[in-house]
Amino acid sequence: MRRRLLLLIATLSVAFSIGGASLPEQTVWSGLIIASNSPPTEPTPAEVTQIEGTLRKLFGYSQFQLIGEARKTLKTGEEDWLATSKYFSLHVDSRGEKADAYVLNLKLFQEQKLLLETKARLSKASPLVIRGPQVGDGQLVIVLVVQ
Amino acid sequence: MKTFEEKWTAWIDDELTGRELEEFLASLPDRAAAQAEKQNAKQVGSLLREQAIALSNADFFSHQLRERLDRENAPVRSEPDAIRTGWWTIRRLLWGGITSLAVFTICAVVVFRESTPSSQSEYLTQILESRVDPTVSPNATISMFEKKDDHVTVLWVDGLQSLPPEYAAK
Repeated sequence: MRRRLLLLIATLSVAFSIGGASLPEQTVWSGLIIASNSPPTEPTPAEVTQIEGTLRKLFGYSQFQLIGEARKTLKTGEEDWLATSKYFSLHVDSRGEKADAYVLNLKLFQEQKLLLETKARLSKASPLVIRGPQVGDGQLVIVLVVQ
Repeated sequence: MKTFEEKWTAWIDDELTGRELEEFLASLPDRAAAQAEKQNAKQVGSLLREQAIALSNADFFSHQLRERLDRENAPVRSEPDAIRTGWWTIRRLLWGGITSLAVFTICAVVVFRESTPSSQSEYLTQILESRVDPTVSPNATISMFEKKDDHVTVLWVDGLQSLPPEYAAK
């Protein structure tokens, strides 16, 4: 009888460990993009291509140039990383996962100056787009995507 | 002085003699009946002596007798006894229930796990809080909206200081 009970407990444990497993390892791509209408100098990066239409509708620009990026594979869901360009940097601090989304603390710096601080729940199915400052005749756009 | 019963036993066993025998026979109210009773007693005695061999294994005899009595006196089986010894015992019912519950739980967990990503993927990214430093960007305003058609969440910051084109450098 005791053996049967142990077998039952073991089976349930396996089931719960399978069922309650955390999200598989996922990569978060963060990009600093200059949106403009100037002629293209390089091809649009693949990550941007996926939402290029949306960005065009949102900002009215036709070209998107990547000036900085970071790709981070999240294992524990509590990692931090930096996407940088020459003058801008985006610090991302992941504070764990919840309901198929990562809770992120974001800080956008212009050199040493903190321009923007935000906290977001980044869903796998939904990119986050941030409109930054005007740069020349273009616009700084920050994009975060779970891949 | 012997009692009448003692004299009677001694007479049956032919141990009374002489004057004592004569006095005892004289005291009997019905001598013929007494003689008949003496004969019967002697027959019973000889019968018991003959059967003494059969009673030598008394323990086995007693055991057999007791078993037979138990069988004959055994009560009719009660309803709970019948349930306990039937196929669906209480223990088996209990185990059946536990096993069914376990199977149901496993199925529920698996189904829940499979359905979770699709249902969760409907959720858009949410902006929980955001702020700009008013000393750095005093005119900045923040708004946020969701483009549900494109599954995109937008944080729209206006009023940040415009920067020269060289800030677009990699």
